[in-house]
Amino acid sequence: MNLLRGLAVAGCCAALLCAQQFTFNLDHLAAKASDSVDISLNGPTLQFAAKFLDSKDPDQAKVKQLIAGLEGIYVKSFEFKSKGDWSDADLENIRKQLRTPEWSRIVGVHSAEDGETAEIYVRNQAGKVTGVAILAAEPTELTVVNIVGAVDLDSLATLGGHFGIPELSDQKDAGKQKGPGKQKGSGK
Amino acid sequence: MDWLDQELKLALERKEPSPDFAARVIRRAARGPAHHVQRWLAAAAAVVVMTSAGLSYRHHQGEVAKDQVMLAFKITAVKVNHIQTHVKGAVR
Amino acid sequence: MTVLEAAPEIALDFAGLVREHQSMVFSVCWHYLHDRDLAEETAQEVFLSLHRNLASIQSAAHAAHWLRKVAVQRAIDEGRRRRRRPQVALADVAEPAALTPVGDPMLAGTLRRLVATLAEAPRMVMILRYQEDLDATEIAEILDMPLATVKSHLQRSLALLREKLRRRGLGGNKWIG
Repeated sequence: MNLLRGLAVAGCCAALLCAQQFTFNLDHLAAKASDSVDISLNGPTLQFAAKFLDSKDPDQAKVKQLIAGLEGIYVKSFEFKSKGDWSDADLENIRKQLRTPEWSRIVGVHSAEDGETAEIYVRNQAGKVTGVAILAAEPTELTVVNIVGAVDLDSLATLGGHFGIPELSDQKDAGKQKGPGKQKGSGK
Repeated sequence: MDWLDQELKLALERKEPSPDFAARVIRRAARGPAHHVQRWLAAAAAVVVMTSAGLSYRHHQGEVAKDQVMLAFKITAVKVNHIQTHVKGAVR
Repeated sequence: MTVLEAAPEIALDFAGLVREHQSMVFSVCWHYLHDRDLAEETAQEVFLSLHRNLASIQSAAHAAHWLRKVAVQRAIDEGRRRRRRPQVALADVAEPAALTPVGDPMLAGTLRRLVATLAEAPRMVMILRYQEDLDATEIAEILDMPLATVKSHLQRSLALLREKLRRRGLGGNKWIG
């Protein structure tokens, strides 16, 4: 009976793993977070949601295009009131799972001064993209994203310009034009 | 007023509702509260509500799923954009 | 009939009040809720409430003050009802038209999203301060909040926004890549 129970549990875990491509193991952070997001959308749910996306809205049309052919999207994002509520071990648990041959890290950035890191991994099978993982961490914020399926990397890279996020070249120009200390007149 | 005050005034300036918003509100106010619905009309309305509840719930589920999808991609977009910005900055 | 006798010029001009204040009411709801449809629904409820309470409105200025106060209350109530669903910092939708051109739409959008991440009370304080150009005393009266609390919310929110902008490279670029 114990063996059967063990197999059943293993089966359930395997089923969960089939949905996401790696386990997040971040639930312990929810209690410490001041704000958290936990989104788990499998393939059928994505296709169901797609019916409600408005093709006339630019942001929704972009998302509709992106989710065609996807098998799931899983997001965990936490904001904390103080530093030190998450540790590198939390991210390292995930990185270990992304060190398999199928996964390749395509970009990683790190700022020692701000304590920020961000990485994007891509999963390849038979020459095709079958998943994307994004790990983004700041001292008081931690976000992990797993997009499962045939991800269009070009479309993902051009999400800038949607959702109110500036396009990359415009953001650089905006960064040059605006800054602290600019005086525009008096007010209350 | 410093630069942030000025930018916040711009960012939080008033926005317009839909062009027909005022007309809809005025029409709705003119209809007034429904004091005189007869019992059989109320019962018929209840039946319609109940039979359409299933459809409404499915629609609600769809809207919730849509909101979650949009949220998931918004978070993804911010993080990807953040990474791209700093990669581009580092390359320059 | 009572409504007409009590304040005939206001009762006859409900439509005028809607047209005059729709932007203010809608904007309070939109900047707070960041959901266009919900903001319009909430704004409509505010005006329908005005229509029901027209007899108590004493002047045009009173109507404006009344509408602002009720819009704030309804937006906060609606925000609390929505908190049953997971809420997170970055929610936004396609933006409605502005009345005047925005100087820097990219920064403006970022600031709007960051304001939307503030907690309930400081978020509404910021909206009343920067959308409605109210001073702290006026904000305290509308929110029924001590003046010191309003000032504290303003100070902390501005400090938080500055920090978040800095981390996003909009107050200076610290990345070494």
